Amino acid sequence: MRHNHFTFEAKQKNVFIGMMVIGLISLIWSYFDNTVPNHTRFWTNFLHNAAFFTGIGFAATFLIAAKITAYSGWHTVFKRLWEAYSLFLLVGLGLMGVVLVGVWGNLHHLYHWADVKAVAGDPILKGKASFLNKYWYTLATFGFVGVWYFFAQKFRKLSIEQDNASLDTRYPIYLTAKKWGAGFMPIAGFTSVAVIWQWLMSLDAHWYSTMYGWYTIASWVVSMIAITILMLIYLKSLGYYPQVSKEHLHDLGKYLFAFSIFWTYLWFSQYMLIWYANVGEETVYFRIRMGEFPILFYGNLVLNFVLPFLILIRNDTKRKTGSLGFIAAIVLFGHWIDFFQMAKIGPYKSALEHHAAAGHGASHGEATHGAVVADPHAATTAPKAAVHTEETAKTGHATPAPADAHVAHEAHEGLTVASDAHATPAKVDVMEPDNYFHYNPDLTPGFAFPGFLEIGTMLGFAGLFLFFVFGQLTKASLVPTNDPYLEETLHHHV
Amino acid sequence: MSARVSPLREPLILGNKNYHQITEDICAPTERAPSRQWIIGFMIAVAGLGLYLFSVIWTVWNGIGSWNLNRTIGWGWDITNFVWWVGIGHAGTLISAILLLLRQKWRTGVNRAAEAMTIFAVICAGQFPIIHMGRVWMAIFIFPYPNTRGPLWPNFNSPLFWDVFAISTYFTVSLLFWYTGLVPDFATVRDRATGWRRKLYDNLAFGWTGSAKHWQRWEALSLVLAGISTPLVLSVHTIVSFDFATSVIPGWHTTIFPPYFVAGAIFSGFAMVQTLMLVVRKLFKLEDYITLQHVESMNKVIVLTGTIVGVAYLTELFIAWYSGYIYEQFAFYNRAMGIYWWSYFGMMLCNVLSPQIFWVKKYRRDLWVTFFMSIFINIGMWFERFVIIATTLARDYLPSSWSYYSPSWVEIGLFVGSLGLFFTCFLIFARIAPVVAIAEIKSILKTMGDQYTGVNALNKKHDDHDLHTEDAHGHH
Repeated sequence: MRHNHFTFEAKQKNVFIGMMVIGLISLIWSYFDNTVPNHTRFWTNFLHNAAFFTGIGFAATFLIAAKITAYSGWHTVFKRLWEAYSLFLLVGLGLMGVVLVGVWGNLHHLYHWADVKAVAGDPILKGKASFLNKYWYTLATFGFVGVWYFFAQKFRKLSIEQDNASLDTRYPIYLTAKKWGAGFMPIAGFTSVAVIWQWLMSLDAHWYSTMYGWYTIASWVVSMIAITILMLIYLKSLGYYPQVSKEHLHDLGKYLFAFSIFWTYLWFSQYMLIWYANVGEETVYFRIRMGEFPILFYGNLVLNFVLPFLILIRNDTKRKTGSLGFIAAIVLFGHWIDFFQMAKIGPYKSALEHHAAAGHGASHGEATHGAVVADPHAATTAPKAAVHTEETAKTGHATPAPADAHVAHEAHEGLTVASDAHATPAKVDVMEPDNYFHYNPDLTPGFAFPGFLEIGTMLGFAGLFLFFVFGQLTKASLVPTNDPYLEETLHHHV
Repeated sequence: MSARVSPLREPLILGNKNYHQITEDICAPTERAPSRQWIIGFMIAVAGLGLYLFSVIWTVWNGIGSWNLNRTIGWGWDITNFVWWVGIGHAGTLISAILLLLRQKWRTGVNRAAEAMTIFAVICAGQFPIIHMGRVWMAIFIFPYPNTRGPLWPNFNSPLFWDVFAISTYFTVSLLFWYTGLVPDFATVRDRATGWRRKLYDNLAFGWTGSAKHWQRWEALSLVLAGISTPLVLSVHTIVSFDFATSVIPGWHTTIFPPYFVAGAIFSGFAMVQTLMLVVRKLFKLEDYITLQHVESMNKVIVLTGTIVGVAYLTELFIAWYSGYIYEQFAFYNRAMGIYWWSYFGMMLCNVLSPQIFWVKKYRRDLWVTFFMSIFINIGMWFERFVIIATTLARDYLPSSWSYYSPSWVEIGLFVGSLGLFFTCFLIFARIAPVVAIAEIKSILKTMGDQYTGVNALNKKHDDHDLHTEDAHGHH
């Protein structure tokens, strides 16, 4: 087939290296932006992108396995793209390894649970300590992602072997791949949620939601589909993939639509149930996001639901590269924003609390901390919150809440944190939801919304991802030449 | 659809059929006198229906007091049965709508019966909330009509009320979808019938002539209904899960409930489809249309959804511990180690552990194993709902109100009797309507018939261009 071998041109290499340089500069720059202490801007940026792009590798591996298991044929023409993404898991392992080193070396304050002093004074974190610890984090990062990579390279190896195999209508190599594919499904199902709890959910160390894992996986899958669409459009513009027709793009568009709706379904279910039940331990998560990070909260929904829903519901928009590419780019950025809100807000909050605590001496600091911990509970009228506050009180880390909350506000005065309640400190009653502790990031770039450094970091990681993926594409024919579904995919018709 | 078929795909129609034979085979059960097995089955089902009616009358006459519900456990077998039946009613629309959108050709063998099953299961499900009202004549209160009683009813904030809409909408759309598919098939039966049967099917077929315009509108309508059904089928069990998850009761309030309920519903629905199809293919001699390949595909869906449910169970269990919230922790400790421990282990065994047997191809294609497992799974899914409802309610926040519940004979009669209602409907359906969609199975003959694909076809692969069918329905 013509153009079936990809050439990674010097020009493209230079662009990607340029992107990586921008990313590196952005990272270094953000390291020295210490408006939020503990280099939190740098570390959250790193974690945000590392988790996002590693997850795309996971989503690709998962879909490869699912497609093999389900006898799917139509995607075969571009499956080498997914194979290339899936191998990025190895790079992702290295990237998340950097965060892991930070956990071990106490180089950052991303995870509240990694702070020994904070955990000692916090009964909730103490209760989670047998899961939220360095060892589990290491197992999830190296062990689980390592297993994913093992499967990814297995699929890749078998897929290339199939290219060179002699024609046997029983396709023994493919059948081997099917066994591995089916085996990967439950492994992926169980490990992925554990990894997500460790990497992302534990950023808001007190908070919990059973939906969180699946929600995050959905975000990864949508991003992976969006990247695939953009990549195919780009490669076609270079003259590659003449076999990829409107029919394939139409189906990918349907996937983008379907998974966007699925993501929204999970988003809504999680949000609605937490809103409806109104349990303080849970609502605090959305309260902060809605009240103090509205750009992220509403932007997330507009980019990932409203726009793809309105644009992709039509038939023709899925078949035109212009509209499909446009919405794929929006959705890709949108899910990057989704990960931004996952990765930024918890560390932002805990970094400020930690700093406030550290700055006021040990005993005072702990009392302050206790107040901040108790604070969200004071914001709710649900009975469970009272129970929790009582627990905190029993362990002696929270003195009467109003006074303490005041201390907390004072402590934050020197930082970028302002409080609405601060203007009238004497009248603060934290039992009133309106006076509840405000972090108020206002327009702090890098937290309230992505600043230039975040965009730069994204470009850097994207450059790395593309450099890796293009490198992988050169290593095998673009369209598999001997696949059992080749005839089907070449004649695919929606 | 392309006529190029991968050599890895197994044929879905066996026996070297042509279009005429398909018509003959599938219409035959509606044209001959009922077999002895059918009559025996029907008598048992009607006996069950009788038990059901008796139990309903008993309940209405004597009031809900004839059940063993108490102040602590206000929902028992009734709501368990409701959720169980609604869950079963998911597979039909999943097969007909979602698998249609996913272009899964094996759906054609089982979609008709699965849709019928959906409708009857939803009918059974709908009974229980109404009976639970006790004063069934007050059922009008669930409808949002302008009333003179002040702004008291209905409570739009209640998921129980959303249920009324979700389920009635789902029922309506499923019924339309099912009947739309039946119209051309009724016409086929009509064209072969004489006498009063011809008259009956003439009415049922709505004057279908099979003109190009009819087919065109029929296909457009099917796609529109599929598009509407897809979000609907997800919404129904999502809202059923809201009945529990919006509360602040530990063990009920958890965010994973919506997708986990939907996965469980598909799981139990497919199990019920298996139970029915295994009987139907044998009873009506449809082994060439409901092949081992169909059985295997459905078993794969079962092991997939069973494992998804397993991930959800363990997620719930883990997060209960992780939350650090003692009541949540107790709720799950109580499930596994409390008074109803046996139902929890029954659930785990039937739903998560035993379906793993389907990792082995031999068992996926073994009819007895499949039949046994399909029943086992539905027992497990019933236990799941019982665990969620009764186990959770039995241990309240206040130990002084802790209680135990076991059903009265009336409640057992209602459940067993509802099976009678279901099978009565299904057996009548299987007599009157073609249990396999004739028009739709014909549409895949030229791609998935065993003379065109699989081992037989390999030697003459792609040399016959007449096999290409751009528009599959143009062949009637």
